[in-house]
Amino acid sequence: MDTLLNAEEREFAQQMRQFYRTEIPEELRLKVATGQELSKEDMVTSQRILNEHGYAVPNWPVEWGGQDWTPVQRHIWLEEMQLACVPQPLPFNVSMVGPVIATFGSQEIKERFLPATANIDIWWSQGFSEPNAGSDLASLKTTAVRQGDKYIVNGQKTWTTLGQYGDWIFNLVRTDPDVKKQAGISFLLIDMKTPGVTVRPIQLIDGGHEVNEIFFDNVEVPVENLVGEENKGWTYAKFLLGNERTGIARIGGSKVNLARAKAYAAVTKTARGTLLDDPLFSARLTKIEAELTALEMTQLRILSTQAAGSDKPDPRSSVLKLKGSQLQEDISELLVDVLGPQGLDFVSDRVQGQGLSDLPNGAVDALPGYFNTRKVTIYGGSSEVQRGIISKALLGL
Amino acid sequence: MDLELNDIQQELASTLNKYLRSEYDIAKREEILRSDEGISREKWQAFAEMGLLGLAIPESYGGADMTFNEVAVVAEAFGRSLVLEPFLATAVLGANAVLLGGSEEQKQAILPGVAEGQTFLALATLEPGLRYAVDAPQTQASGADGSFTLTGEKNNVLGGDVADHFVVTATQNGELGLYLVAADAEGLTRVAQRQADGLGSANLKLEGVAAQRLDAADANAVLSEVLDLGNAAIMAEAVGALEASLTMTAEYLKTREQFGAPIGANQALQHRAADLYAELEYARSMALYSRLAVTSEVPGAEKDRHRDVIAAKIIVDRAARNISQESIQMHGGIGMTMEYPIGHYAKRLTVMTRTFDDSDSLTAELAELGGLIEPHAADLS
Repeated sequence: MDTLLNAEEREFAQQMRQFYRTEIPEELRLKVATGQELSKEDMVTSQRILNEHGYAVPNWPVEWGGQDWTPVQRHIWLEEMQLACVPQPLPFNVSMVGPVIATFGSQEIKERFLPATANIDIWWSQGFSEPNAGSDLASLKTTAVRQGDKYIVNGQKTWTTLGQYGDWIFNLVRTDPDVKKQAGISFLLIDMKTPGVTVRPIQLIDGGHEVNEIFFDNVEVPVENLVGEENKGWTYAKFLLGNERTGIARIGGSKVNLARAKAYAAVTKTARGTLLDDPLFSARLTKIEAELTALEMTQLRILSTQAAGSDKPDPRSSVLKLKGSQLQEDISELLVDVLGPQGLDFVSDRVQGQGLSDLPNGAVDALPGYFNTRKVTIYGGSSEVQRGIISKALLGL
Repeated sequence: MDLELNDIQQELASTLNKYLRSEYDIAKREEILRSDEGISREKWQAFAEMGLLGLAIPESYGGADMTFNEVAVVAEAFGRSLVLEPFLATAVLGANAVLLGGSEEQKQAILPGVAEGQTFLALATLEPGLRYAVDAPQTQASGADGSFTLTGEKNNVLGGDVADHFVVTATQNGELGLYLVAADAEGLTRVAQRQADGLGSANLKLEGVAAQRLDAADANAVLSEVLDLGNAAIMAEAVGALEASLTMTAEYLKTREQFGAPIGANQALQHRAADLYAELEYARSMALYSRLAVTSEVPGAEKDRHRDVIAAKIIVDRAARNISQESIQMHGGIGMTMEYPIGHYAKRLTVMTRTFDDSDSLTAELAELGGLIEPHAADLS
């Protein structure tokens, strides 16, 4: 789609492409390209290189390390990053808590947290969902009761992604139980080393440890850790979730994975030739390719509207999430189906040794990737929530 | 990056939509549909006077010297109002075949009449037994030096019922050619047909019919470009029809009451309506994608043009199928009636998705062309 960009945008894309491919270590990009799990150190390394060059938090205000970019430039920044298989900056830092602090925090709290957040000197965790507050987030029950210059926090958060690495956690807590549920919520920052904070791993069906439960048992939190005003947390949360939707379609990542499925299929033999030539497999793959192009054009149309100066709520953002997540799942399924029976074992290495032949490429990550990718139609507003948003815009009922 | 319509295109769209809302509403369309010819020559004259028929024809042949982008704006508006006159057949398929393939003399003879609304054209490519294949017709041409005769049979010639001239595909010594045939030529039998959507077509029998060859350019290249333009136009038209269908269906969900509440209060219907909205956005995106493909001035872009157009058509066809079928279902029994407009949209959309090709063969063709994404895996050398 490069031809749709103007000369300056094309040059910018070229510059980002060059940067990612020369400055981010090959070894890290290969891990992303082949679906290997990234360590904490890998993610920190990548984000620090990006931050050093001003590319970790371009969406932040310029005075806090952001870039004065157009919506199209931001799109190119992310798209090229995904195409180059660069480990992305930690979303909890750069698209969630960072913008909330930068927009609603006091000068003191900005100075205290923003530079360390951009440079991932602090690894943030997200404390939003609870066992009984999922899509209905505002019904959360974790309480923060003011006692002098402290809040006493009690309750439980869940689905805390990579919480095992977390230094700090940003939480939605109930500070007023006697008002409408949205009106009694505050946005509170908690040091995870504080006594009374317990992190418990949750094993997922992909065999990995990605998410956690966090328990708060009479945790004492200084009141200066409150962001913005007490009981205004729901406003900040909606702002945060709005930012989360940007880039959630993961088009660049889907292109990489689809190219990968196609390359594997081309070297996979069947009784009638290669799998890529199999009529039904190829029809399925081809439809996904056409659909991915439709998704990308939709994203570009939205960007074009934004570039023309509109900032109205746009139900097409929900189309991006709804369709983009479904495509990610479809592509993860293609990768499984390329492998056939040799993709069905959970293995840590495709080299078997002991005189046995190597497993096919993709054998390590395809099936775990398939199960892991089930999450994308659930998080960030499930497909059902997105359909609700779209139908509200369409029908107003 | 700018994907918005420019000021002139916005003005064109708004003027035309306004005109069609008042002069081509459902009742007036119904009258035209029930007339003998099934089209209104008076409306066609009005379209000519508005400059719609020669938009992409150069000024030297009486046109407005604009681009396919403006043609697509008109096609979308015509789709929204289910216009019955042969715009696609005459102003897109026929005019472009002559423009791209004709000699100076042939262009002078045909194109001014098109722009003025005096001439209807039709492109005759399909033949009995060949389904959608157009590159090796059985119709034979013989002769030389500007004097040819054609013998063969053509079917589903869109706009062929009223055409004054046909552009006919035929082979001579195995080589494809495009030939211009006058509708009143001796040896030409025309059987007029009415498509399910109310548009006219014809089946033709050609027995030694006199013809001129359009040989200013390679016939394969001309035919391929004309059909790509036709597909891009039909996608724009589909977007208009899809938008109207979804608007009408959403309105029905809001106003039709059962069990004491609007039926759209049911989440089962809300979520399906949301899926249709997403499909409509996909159709808009890909109609745009095809328009960009056929108007691209980037050097070398023509080699990807056909590939991009068929990729777009796969998505637009799916949207057309889902939205037309679901629109009827959500309307219930009333959607089955000729009296209510939604079924008319469904009929036009059903025909449009099958006019130049069908989705299955497009998918197979796109796969054969290698698809849209280069295979690449970092762990394969």
